[in-house]
Amino acid sequence: MLLTFVRNQEKAILLWLKDFILTMQEFFLFSVRAFLAFPKIKRYWRDVLDQATICGTDSIPIVLVSAISIGSLLAIEVGNLLEDFGAKTMLGRSTSLSVIRELGPLLMGLMLSARYGSRNGSELGAMQISEQIDALRAFGTDPVAKLVMPRLIASLIMFLPLTALSDFAGLHSAAYLAEHYHRLDPGIFWNAVYPRLAPKDFVVGFLKAPVFAIIITLVSSFNGFSARGGTAGVGRATIKGIVVSSGLVLIANFYVSKIVLENM
Amino acid sequence: MIELRNVSLKYGNKEILKNVSLTIKDNTIKAILGPSGVGKSTILKLMLGLIKPNSGQVIIDGTDITNMKESSLYSIRRKMGMVFQGNALFDSLTINQNLGFFLRENMNLPEEEVNRRVAEQIQFAGLEGYEDQLPESLSGGMRRRVAIGRALIFKPHMILFDEPTAGLDPVSSKKILSLISALRHNNNLGAVIVTHIIDDVFNVADCVAVLYQGEIIFDDVTEKLHQAQHPFIRSILSDNILEL
Repeated sequence: MLLTFVRNQEKAILLWLKDFILTMQEFFLFSVRAFLAFPKIKRYWRDVLDQATICGTDSIPIVLVSAISIGSLLAIEVGNLLEDFGAKTMLGRSTSLSVIRELGPLLMGLMLSARYGSRNGSELGAMQISEQIDALRAFGTDPVAKLVMPRLIASLIMFLPLTALSDFAGLHSAAYLAEHYHRLDPGIFWNAVYPRLAPKDFVVGFLKAPVFAIIITLVSSFNGFSARGGTAGVGRATIKGIVVSSGLVLIANFYVSKIVLENM
Repeated sequence: MIELRNVSLKYGNKEILKNVSLTIKDNTIKAILGPSGVGKSTILKLMLGLIKPNSGQVIIDGTDITNMKESSLYSIRRKMGMVFQGNALFDSLTINQNLGFFLRENMNLPEEEVNRRVAEQIQFAGLEGYEDQLPESLSGGMRRRVAIGRALIFKPHMILFDEPTAGLDPVSSKKILSLISALRHNNNLGAVIVTHIIDDVFNVADCVAVLYQGEIIFDDVTEKLHQAQHPFIRSILSDNILEL
């Protein structure tokens, strides 16, 4: 009986592993097709503009809210800590590094994973369930070129200014709280920011934008394309897209920082 | 002409089609009859190369498309128009935009020609006055007629219908069936109709293939269906409608 149980478990694990490897293979091919469709941008430039509005302009409020809240929180908490050591003048330095290198891009990535990723997953999932993606293929249109490539290009373009905006809003909210909460002179705050920021700090932060754009767009779109089983299937695909892309954004955030800071 | 030669297909461990062979000649209407979930729609997707069989061949006008690359399949697919069971209309586009979508996407036609063809299909489907409406504001029968118009706009040789009257009221069903008959008589168009409604078969089809448990158990002219002795066919003839 125990032996049968062990064998059944072994079979289940092997089946799961096989499914996982097959999904990874499909995801890889899907991603390659999306990148190979880049030359078709001339044909789908209107779709790229539409997607740029959706993932860029329309995302500004959520990016601003997250950047301002994290900048303000950092200024308050780090300021309190530095005050204990009599090093409050270093507040600009510590918040700028945290915002530009790590928290600005990371929070933006997570917010966009939730906002843009969920939109991609549900929209493409609904199209898959209602056979609209099959209709595209049946009438001679490559659905990856029409639906995924414009999303990918738009996010690659728009995530960069969103990162800049997130950094700007985060730093300025930190500066505002430094002045009004910690009574720190703005000149002292900014003097600890600009002269001390090195190019590698910006490289770390801004390199994360295209990495997150690729992860969020491809993972959410792939899950949308893989939706099966009616409206519940669309929900499952959307959730899976957000969970996986958020997890990958966190992992990528760590590795991009590690690789750049170790090599620059 | 569309040919399926000894086609077998499995989804996981489930065998959907077992050694299926079918021929659909130009200018004929062939029905594929069978209970729901037996793999009828899968046959249409195989014909379009949307899915690949595990074994066997799919041949369109003498070209074997079984292992053809997706990019090479697009030109083959344009020889056939497909009307999906749920219509698969783009819900954010108007009727006019839905009809003209693939012409604008895939053919380098001047805008005047696109508009002329769209107007032709609007008239054919009897949808004058609804051009600027979204699909959601139309009735089921109207949406089906838009889907037929979209399939016809490429001027295909063959049109594939997935359950063309499913979910429609009797009046709309009758209109759709008359439209299918008119296509053959006026446009010389062949058609494949996948259905579980036996009345549709007798109303429009020249010949019929019956799919049961993944196998073709009957493939002949429609009139001969009454002479078939297979117990499943006898049962559907006596009940008239398949709801298994």
